[in-house]
Amino acid sequence: MRAAIAIVKKDLRMEFRSKESILAMWIFSLLIFVIFNFTFEVSRLVMLEIAPGLLWVAFVFSGMFGLNHSFALEKENGNLRAMALMPVDGGQIYVGKFLSVTLIMLMFEALIFPVFIIFYDLQLSLQTFKLIPVLLGGTIGFTSLGTILSAVAVHTRNQQILLSLLLWPLVSPIIIWSVTLTGMVLGGEITASFYPLLTRVVAFDVIFFTLSYMLFDFILED
Amino acid sequence: MRSKIDKFLLIVLFPAFLTCMYLIFQWVPQIKASNPAEQIAQRIFYFHVPSAWLGFLAFFVVFCASVAYLATRNRRYELISVASAEIGVLFISLVLITGPIWAKPVWGIWWTWDVRLTSSLILWLIYVAFLMLRRYLPDGSKRANLSAVVGIIGFIDVPIVYYSIRWWETQHPKAVMASSEGSLAAPMFFAFMFSLATFTLLYVYLIRKRYQLLKLEDMLNKQFKEMEIL
Repeated sequence: MRAAIAIVKKDLRMEFRSKESILAMWIFSLLIFVIFNFTFEVSRLVMLEIAPGLLWVAFVFSGMFGLNHSFALEKENGNLRAMALMPVDGGQIYVGKFLSVTLIMLMFEALIFPVFIIFYDLQLSLQTFKLIPVLLGGTIGFTSLGTILSAVAVHTRNQQILLSLLLWPLVSPIIIWSVTLTGMVLGGEITASFYPLLTRVVAFDVIFFTLSYMLFDFILED
Repeated sequence: MRSKIDKFLLIVLFPAFLTCMYLIFQWVPQIKASNPAEQIAQRIFYFHVPSAWLGFLAFFVVFCASVAYLATRNRRYELISVASAEIGVLFISLVLITGPIWAKPVWGIWWTWDVRLTSSLILWLIYVAFLMLRRYLPDGSKRANLSAVVGIIGFIDVPIVYYSIRWWETQHPKAVMASSEGSLAAPMFFAFMFSLATFTLLYVYLIRKRYQLLKLEDMLNKQFKEMEIL
C-alpha cells in the first residue's frame, strides 16, 4: 500500500502547487454552463428539469481534463517507465493514480457545485445531503474506468480524443444512473427506486475497480 | 494459404444464401398486418436478428481471445480478436441499418432511444473505439496488451449498459423465440433458423479469411524489417 500512498501524495502535492487540473476543470465547467445557457434558451421550469444532466455533463467533460492530465504528466518525464520498473504490484500504481484523480475530481466538484446552485437557483434542504453518496458513487465509477483507460490512451498519438472515445460509451450506465439520482435529490422527489439505483452504482464501481486493479499489470508491461 | 476448409465453406455458402433468399422472399407466408408496408418490412427480421446474433458472437470471441492472449501471449489470439472485432462491428452496423428500415413503416420513425436501439449503438461505439485504439498504437506487444485489456473491459460492460437502460419503456418487439407465447409459425421458424445457420457459417468463413490476411500482413512486415536491417 505504501507505493499507492506515495503516488497520491506526489500527485496531490503537484496539484496544490500548480493548481493546473482543478482550475482548468472549474473554468471549463463554468464555460459549459454559459454555453448551455446560450444554446438552449429555455424557461426556468425546463431548466430545472435538465439541470441534473447539465451538472453531469460538466463533471464528465471536465473530468476528462483531470484524467488526461494525470497520465500525460507521467509520460512527459519518462515516469511511466520508471513506474513499470518499480518492484511493486501494478495494482498498487493503479490504486495510487485512481485515488489522486478521484480526490482531485471530488475537490473540483465541491468547488463547482455552489456555482451551479447559484446559476440555476436550486433550493437546498437537508435532503440535498443525499447528493453526497450520489456524487461519490458516480465519480468513483467514472474515475475507476477512466484511470485505466487513460493509462491505455496515453500510449497513443491522439491521447485526448481517444480517451473520450473509449471512456464515454463504457461509463454510460454510470452517467444514466447518476443523472437520475441527482434529479431525484434536486427535485425533492426521492422515490423507492433511489436506493436500488444507488446500489447499482456501487456495484458498477466495485466491478470495474476490481477488474482494472487486476488488469493494470498488463498495461505497464512492455 | 488457401485451405480446403475455406473452399468447402465457400461452396456451401453460395447456395445456402440463395436458398435463404428464396425462403425469405418466396416461401415464407405473408404475415397478417393491416399495413401492407409492414408485411414486406417484416421480412427484414430474417437478416436483422441473425446479424445481431453474429455481432454478439463476434464480441464474445473478442473477449475470449483477449483473455487467451493475456494468459498465453500467443500472437495468434491477438489476430483472432482483431478479426472478430472487425466482423462484429460490420454486423452490428448492419443491425443499426436494417433496424431503422423496418422501423420507419412500422413505428413511423427511424429511430427511438429505446433499450435495444440505444444499447446496440453503444455496443457499436465501444468496439469502434477498440478498433481505433489499435490504429493509433504502433505495432508490438504493447498494442496487443492494451487492446486485450480494452477487449475484456468492453465485453463485461455490455450487459451492464443493457441493464442500465432497461427500465425505460421498450418499443422493440420481444424476442419471439424465447417468450412463452412463441408466436412464430413453423415455416417462419424454419426460415429463421436456416438464415441464422447461414449467417453463422458466413462468420466462420469471414474470420478465417481475415485471420489469414492478418497473418500474411504480419509475415510481410517481418520480411520488410529484416530487409531494412540488411
